[in-house]
Amino acid sequence: MKKIKVAMVGQPNVGKSSIINSISDARLHVGNFAGVTVEKKEVLIKRGDKEIDIVDLPGIYSLNAYTPEEQVAKRYLIEEDYDILVNVVDANVLQRNLIFTMQLLDMGKKMILVVNMIDELEKAGGKIDDKRLSELLGIPVVLASAKEKRGVENIVEKILELYDAPKPKRKIYYNEKIEYEIEKLKKILLKSPHFHDPELARFYVIRLLEKDEDIYKIVHDLPIFLELHEVLGESIKRLKLEFDEDSVSDILADERNSLAKSIVMQSMIMPQKETLTDRIDKILIHPVFGLPIFLFFMWTLFQLTFQVGSIPMEYIDQVFTNFGDWLKNILPQGDLNSVITEGVVPAVGAIVMFLPNILILFLGINLLEQTGYMARAAFLLDGFLKKFGLQGKAFIPLVSGFGCTVPAYMAARTLKNPKDRLITMLVLGFMNCSARLPVYVLLIAAFFPAHNAGNVLFVIYIGGALLGLLVAKILRELLFKGEPEPFVMEMPPYRFPSLKALAMELWIKAKIFIKKAGTFIAAAAMIVWFLSSYPKNPELLAEYEARIEAAVSESQKKALYNELAAKELESSYLGKIGKFIEPVFEPLGFDWRLSVATISGLAAKEVIVSTLATLYAVGEADETSSTLRAKLAQSVDFKTAVALIVIIMIYSPCVAAMSTFYAEIPQWAWRGFYTVYPNVLAWLAAFTVYKILEFVGL
Amino acid sequence: MKSVLDMKISETARIKRITAQEPVKGRLTAMGIAKGNLIKLLDHTLKKQTWEVEVEGTRVALRKEEAASIMVEEI
Ligand SMILES: Nc1nc2c(ncn2[C@@H]2O[C@H](COP(=O)(O)OP(=O)(O)OP(=O)(O)O)[C@@H](O)[C@H]2O)c(=O)[nH]1
Ligand SMILES: [Mg+2]
Repeated sequence: MKKIKVAMVGQPNVGKSSIINSISDARLHVGNFAGVTVEKKEVLIKRGDKEIDIVDLPGIYSLNAYTPEEQVAKRYLIEEDYDILVNVVDANVLQRNLIFTMQLLDMGKKMILVVNMIDELEKAGGKIDDKRLSELLGIPVVLASAKEKRGVENIVEKILELYDAPKPKRKIYYNEKIEYEIEKLKKILLKSPHFHDPELARFYVIRLLEKDEDIYKIVHDLPIFLELHEVLGESIKRLKLEFDEDSVSDILADERNSLAKSIVMQSMIMPQKETLTDRIDKILIHPVFGLPIFLFFMWTLFQLTFQVGSIPMEYIDQVFTNFGDWLKNILPQGDLNSVITEGVVPAVGAIVMFLPNILILFLGINLLEQTGYMARAAFLLDGFLKKFGLQGKAFIPLVSGFGCTVPAYMAARTLKNPKDRLITMLVLGFMNCSARLPVYVLLIAAFFPAHNAGNVLFVIYIGGALLGLLVAKILRELLFKGEPEPFVMEMPPYRFPSLKALAMELWIKAKIFIKKAGTFIAAAAMIVWFLSSYPKNPELLAEYEARIEAAVSESQKKALYNELAAKELESSYLGKIGKFIEPVFEPLGFDWRLSVATISGLAAKEVIVSTLATLYAVGEADETSSTLRAKLAQSVDFKTAVALIVIIMIYSPCVAAMSTFYAEIPQWAWRGFYTVYPNVLAWLAAFTVYKILEFVGL
Repeated sequence: MKSVLDMKISETARIKRITAQEPVKGRLTAMGIAKGNLIKLLDHTLKKQTWEVEVEGTRVALRKEEAASIMVEEI
């Protein structure tokens, strides 16, 4: 059985990933803005005895790739081996999409055109004649809607048909003057023994005429290069003169634009002017009200995250406490019992409690991604971001950073200029990720009045973002002189996400979160528990047991118990490690337990909470302060808590995020800088805040 | 010659020439901002730093510098 390899290619935001999801059980990420997919992804589907390997590529506006993620797609198209190209286009903007289709047709591969979003076009009163379009382009055409799952199986059928059929003949030719030069250059290229395929030769010639450096590199080593180079130069000169244009790219762009126009004219009935998006935009990107509305949305999101998210918290907490008690009774006594009921269950419980908060935050980010408001926010903030040496498009990775820093680093690929991209990535860690949310919610609940909790959360997030911008500005001034890249961004129409899709996304996020809590965080909690319970100290125990024996009153006994537990913890491995690093954090008012928790956050930010839960679970016999929150409020003072928040806002993200950064940025100097500077900055900022609070007497 | 900066909001004009350099020019062309197409000015921000235009059904956000490089003629 042969596997059929299919490459999905098209301009950004036309629904390539959605189409793949609709014909397979894959769950590729989709969103209503350009640049959702930034890395190629393979999906395998089976139909009968045939296997089809579909490769989802990042959207690409034209073969003159512009941004790094477009480069990924272009490189795949040119270098890899595949059987069929599936070119997805958006029915609403067929003409613009066909310009790129024309470039793909130059490649001379077997190709299918999928006209997606046909539902939207038809709703607006438009129509496309697929037979006519197919005749004009000379390739199979499928009308489809990934949203309504219309025509999607047709795509698979066409792939299977085309795979067995011979390659259809080329229908699209350019102006004869251009074709004449192409023919001439093609002959030279075909003289080389490496070239047998006239279609490929034609494609290379066209790309060379357009001064494509990637192709230039390929032909550079051929023996006929010198001859080719000379004739190429003459051809370019001649064409520029005859068409009175600055470059052959311009001539061909013009050619393709006219061809696309005429094809659309012959095969499409245009829709009535659609105005919903225009009407919404009148308000949402209003010159005066646009920004305040945006801030209001963000503020509301953080209010909801805190207030609504806190409602189910106590129930979840109760469930875990009960579960722990139940386990304690059925498991045999001993270390296993302790590590599970005292180590793992409370730690995992302490984190799962925050699932509702995290889901609300993700719902907000998801709405931003799916509705099309993302691009509007980028538009509104561009002027503001420019002041800090960034550009509007940087908003997309920055906002993804509120969810998780890992995909945010990847999303920075949509920035063309390497300096812009690096600056953005260096400050992305200051966008508080959702893993930090549990820590903040815990600390805010413990140290701030309830009516202000949502606002404090908002301030933390905005503060992180502003700090990021400030650092970006400094980096730009000190290290990366020069203007940021020009800002050109497509604004997609508003789309209303289906409730089902939203629920699905949240369900996936919840699953991932619970899985992380049940595996990675449970393991981390187990390690912390062992390190904090061993080595046992029999002498200490014996000494205290004797003293407890001798104690007269109940309260005295209790006090001695607490002292014993505290001393045991201090003499554990973790206690020793903590004591060792304590001097670093001492100026911030941290004791060794907070120091250890801070360091453990490098594994994953949630681990801070579980570590605190373990370290503060001991030594408190007071019935009224059973929750972690209350214990923290009792044993940590306000200014120390604020210093802790500041540290968490600024210091290095988790190891997963750091390794993503290392993978994306190859230069060792930048990797080193990235690893060190946030921690230094975090310490300095926390120290300053601590001293200020101390000075004002808090 | 008139550029997009000189257009009024909601005005439609025909694109005559793009004076931007490559690769910005290529990017504009790929988004449909090419010679001969109709362009409509939709909006700009308060300080006229960022502009939004519509070409053949596509909305595009641009900076002042890019908008200034799109030459248009009235229709
Ligand atoms: N109405 C409608 N919307 C669709 C259809 N297909 C996709 N969409 C929406 O279009 C947007 C873009 O979809 P994606 O699948 O992310 O597009 P893509 O081509 O993979 O985009 P990039 O990865 O950014 O290049 C999403 O908001 C989808 O929900 C369709 O057939 N009809
Ligand atoms: Mg995609």
